[in-house]
Amino acid sequence: MNDTATPPSPDPVLVEVMGAALSSLVEEMGETLVRAAYSSNIKERRDCTAGLFDADGHMLAQAEQASPIHLGSLIGVVSAVLERFPVEDIRPGDTFLSNDPYSGGGSHLPDMVLVTPVFADGRLTAWAANLAHHADFGDRGHAHIFQEGVRIPPVRFAREGEIVDDVFQLVLTNCQVPAERRADFRAQLAANRLAVTRYGELVERYGRATMLETAAALLDYTERRTRAAIAEVPDGTYAFTDRFDCPELEDTELELRLRVTVDGDELHFDFAGNPGQVRASVNMVRTALYATVYYAVKTLVDPDIPSNAGLHRPIRIDAPLGSIVNCVEPAAVNGRTETCQRVVDLIHGALAPAVPERVTAASNGANTGVHFSGWDHARGRYFVYLETIGGGSGARAGKDGLDGVQVHVTNTSNLPVEALETEYPLMVEAYELVPGSGGAGRTRGGMGIRRTVRVEDSRAGTGGKGTPSGDAGSPDGARDASGADSGTGEADGVQFWLDTSRLRSRPWGLFGGLPGSSARVELSEGARPVVRGHTVLRPGDRVSVVTAGAGGYGDPAERDPAAAERDTREGTTPPDA
Amino acid sequence: MTLRIGVDTGGTFTDVVAFDEETGALHVRKVSSTPQDPGLAIVEGLDQILEQIGGRSPADVGYFAHGTTVGTNALLTHRGARTGVVTTRGFRDLLELGRGRRPRLYDLQADKPAPFAPRDLRLEVTERVRHDGSIETPLDEDEVRAAARTLREAGVESVAVCLLYSFLRPEHEQRIGEILREELPGAHLSLSSRVLPEFREYERLSTVVTNAYVGPVVAEYLAKLRQRLAERGLAAVPHVTQSNGGIIPFEAAEELPVRMVLSGPSTGVVGAAGLCAAAGHPDLITFDMGGTSSDVSLVRNGVPKVTTGMELDGRPVRTPMLDIHTVGAGGGSLARVDAGGHLKVGPASAGADPGPACYGKASDTAEPTVTDADIVLHTLNPVHLLDGRMPVDEQAARAAVGRIAERIGLGVEETAHGILRVVTANMARAIRVISVQRGYDPRDYTLVPFGGAGPLHASQLARELGMRTVLVPPTPGAQSALGLLMTDVRADFSRTRIQRLTDDPERTAGQLGALWAELEDEAAAWFDAERIPEADRGLERTAELRYAGQNHEIPVPVPAGPLDAAALAGVLETFAAEHRRLYGYDAPDEPVEAVTVRLQAVGAVPQAKLPREEPAGEDASASLTGHREMHLQGEGFVSVPVHRRADLRPGNRVTGPAVVEQMDTTTVLLPGDVLTVDDHSNLVIAVGG
Repeated sequence: MNDTATPPSPDPVLVEVMGAALSSLVEEMGETLVRAAYSSNIKERRDCTAGLFDADGHMLAQAEQASPIHLGSLIGVVSAVLERFPVEDIRPGDTFLSNDPYSGGGSHLPDMVLVTPVFADGRLTAWAANLAHHADFGDRGHAHIFQEGVRIPPVRFAREGEIVDDVFQLVLTNCQVPAERRADFRAQLAANRLAVTRYGELVERYGRATMLETAAALLDYTERRTRAAIAEVPDGTYAFTDRFDCPELEDTELELRLRVTVDGDELHFDFAGNPGQVRASVNMVRTALYATVYYAVKTLVDPDIPSNAGLHRPIRIDAPLGSIVNCVEPAAVNGRTETCQRVVDLIHGALAPAVPERVTAASNGANTGVHFSGWDHARGRYFVYLETIGGGSGARAGKDGLDGVQVHVTNTSNLPVEALETEYPLMVEAYELVPGSGGAGRTRGGMGIRRTVRVEDSRAGTGGKGTPSGDAGSPDGARDASGADSGTGEADGVQFWLDTSRLRSRPWGLFGGLPGSSARVELSEGARPVVRGHTVLRPGDRVSVVTAGAGGYGDPAERDPAAAERDTREGTTPPDA
Repeated sequence: MTLRIGVDTGGTFTDVVAFDEETGALHVRKVSSTPQDPGLAIVEGLDQILEQIGGRSPADVGYFAHGTTVGTNALLTHRGARTGVVTTRGFRDLLELGRGRRPRLYDLQADKPAPFAPRDLRLEVTERVRHDGSIETPLDEDEVRAAARTLREAGVESVAVCLLYSFLRPEHEQRIGEILREELPGAHLSLSSRVLPEFREYERLSTVVTNAYVGPVVAEYLAKLRQRLAERGLAAVPHVTQSNGGIIPFEAAEELPVRMVLSGPSTGVVGAAGLCAAAGHPDLITFDMGGTSSDVSLVRNGVPKVTTGMELDGRPVRTPMLDIHTVGAGGGSLARVDAGGHLKVGPASAGADPGPACYGKASDTAEPTVTDADIVLHTLNPVHLLDGRMPVDEQAARAAVGRIAERIGLGVEETAHGILRVVTANMARAIRVISVQRGYDPRDYTLVPFGGAGPLHASQLARELGMRTVLVPPTPGAQSALGLLMTDVRADFSRTRIQRLTDDPERTAGQLGALWAELEDEAAAWFDAERIPEADRGLERTAELRYAGQNHEIPVPVPAGPLDAAALAGVLETFAAEHRRLYGYDAPDEPVEAVTVRLQAVGAVPQAKLPREEPAGEDASASLTGHREMHLQGEGFVSVPVHRRADLRPGNRVTGPAVVEQMDTTTVLLPGDVLTVDDHSNLVIAVGG
């Protein structure tokens, strides 16, 4: 804090009231971003977040709609800006852009962060930041980060209210769908502008000194709550290991490991002995690891602890530099959430003996990302469609796991079929649960999902056997003649990339519960096989991505007969029950 | 036929309001609700109020409107019908998959809402329509018949049909409907192309399944009530409120019960809008605070803001409804100290049983409620409530607040103030959602509190939000019933057709005009069926627009009259202005597209003209019943005047700190507040501080 003149113990009721006001502020930022954005990934799938920070970069509040991993691209951004820009050069109306994991506080390149200083009484008082996952940089290699997209260290994106056009053009030129990007950036700017206005209204009401004082007290409060919750976990050192695979690593399996020590009201996470960083996209930078651990702690000790930096204080994290969980340049990081999901599983697995009623068995263990990209002849444009598909969520001590949901570090929405097909040359033939995929147990693991997509022949206009109905509006009148002859052969197909995990292993059960089923890919006859997560699909090809189920909890023989009867009636019984 | 009756069924009381067109008098009656059979209390209330007015008979009633939560309660308590679903092959599980998100980010014990139709009753049929409305795969009618038989054998009482793109091309759904009628003649039938012909398949499915689930329950309730009222001799056609604040005849409501989920709260808002417009306050924020929660909404230019949907218990319900936001903050909300030493209030509530500590039924270790804090501070009468009918245990309230006070190291009164400040902050947050988050500044609005606890906390809430005026209506405890006398008959029609507005304005204007012409035909048929005279018919057109590429639409009013390129340009200007207001920018170079066009048909109902009284001067001493010690923050206990609402006359002025008591609520004036009674008997408070 810049102001230390005021006493450190403000009225706890005022602190609570201020906490509510700051939560409103970040929720409103997030909502503005979603509603004004253009790309499906933000407007429908809500792959974005917003946060407010103090002048030194400690998080004060984060929008609840976010995916927890987004914290990993926010917690480092203010200090990254301050490292490059002297405070005295930062003016009201400035906004900084960054995405680089190694110089900009990011966690992978598609997450573009805009951060805006907030001034009160002429002094830098807070920072508003928001992150949007721009579904761009499709069809890339992931041997190292230089293949993954354009790296942006903190740069001034707007100077005193005006966009720095040179920078904007440089970024847009490196994007595959620049029109979407332009509009999404504009929505991001609007969200931060709104935060500046709202913060100003609070300052008008309470004064700058009170704002600073209550912000500090809010972090202290969160720290007290976190410590109180950790103190309830039995002391001890707990360890866990798990097998990790992903399409890029083909047959290679890695062993992930963790030792957690609970010591009074503090937690120590020791990631010693994990594999070195890999020539694939699944490496985690430090901030991604921190965000993942903070998430897991919240789920295990108290899910209602406010999302601010006070939570971080009683937690110590050690991970070897250059390992898969704390990588260094130039490791590729695009698919880091596959590993993040497994770190959460490790933490739950390790602490299962300590807090058996709070942990879950292994969830589907992946953030299954499916990317389709290519030239859309019917609409005359290049398209990139990203979807992340949920799966089983781990069984709980007293309840079955959730079927077919986003788990742990992600919580994005799916794209409605009726929106997707209107926008891209793809058709969804099935979107369903996978019966039997949830691991058996006293409580059953959640079921995985099958999503089957067929590639349309976009050259054929409205498509094969369809009969136009006359009154339907064309979804997009614009046709670009230059695209009509954009090549043949492979270039004409749709590039398909898959990020996932648990293709080779199964999500583990707990206390006698059985594992869930593995993930897999199913292709229609004649389609080219998926190699290292990639293939080229031709019109008419069909691909089904099947995500893993989750592990069961407790002895299957102890399952409540009524629940077993329902499984049978609804056709969801695990085969090995 | 000169009596107009409104009946609102609440959890505890059934409120009956009668307006006598001959005398201009307004009568209010409260009877205990009968949750097992809500119709009993309605008939009882009707009898009592007719008796109260003086020997009138049901035959004298020319208008009868009812607000009910029967449908909502069936949803919340999972007591709907056995429901089946017929859907496009490959999408049986969509009801459970939803939008794919888990319900709570960090709370892994949270569950998704249980589907109203179990998996074994959700059946797929082979068929597929494409995004352009063309047919990819024709409907397999044999499969439909087989599915119908399966559902019949399973004892299904209600069926929801939801196919992909049914909003573009309803034929397959219609054909399935015909087959189901043949195979399951007694079942309630809901087609998504009728219930919600709009895009986004999961939201449409959830809405149509909700409709199917409550359909038989609501239909049975309304049919039984209709019969009972007829037996009592009621000649008027009974109407029921919908979530859009309008009313429709019982029979019409039975097909689309999902449109009634906000039936109860919506008329309170309509009533407030009507009262306040008459009193010269067209822009207001309503604040209905009850025992467990508060409902807030915004009215602009006398018209309540509407929205196209909400989540009820985690399930999306898309139907036109007033934009009412609910927060778990009421008189019964419990206060506690959390592990970090902060004071938290709600959403847990002491409910009706045991209720607040001051009601004398709570245990010796019970947490204090908001009402207990009010008793400690004497903002509420510390001796008795409800005009003396209910004794209050002040010591029990002090003891409960004291238990919390000890833990946070504050005095009992300071802690009570703390409880009120925290609950006020929670309510302010709810009001920010429907005001600042929608681009409206609450400081430009009048706060209109009602419900038992609204007027008690309104002055403090207004201060928190910078609002300068509070208006307390005459019968805050029966606001929804009163609103039933001030509403119109309303029905909504819509079509989703995604089309660009900026490419060829002449042609698009023609296409949009044709869509509205279709909807106007439907509306005309509805007006005829409702026997609404030509002169009372009104139509309101709305287009939901966005920049091509966005996915969240902004509703834009479209003026009546022929739609040509010039009119369309006006609509686009309004859209750009709304976009600027909401998001701080517009994009003049970007194409704009229409997604859904809507038409609301309004049949004007002659409105109750509420009594007006002659001004009686500023002196309010005739209403003064005494003084009591009330605790003011930073000052301690101060003797303040207590006035009786029934004896306040138009023109009377009361300066805060002061208290105004009436049977079912208490209005608190803080220091600096100045209350004036207007000539509609509203209390208009200029907020001080």
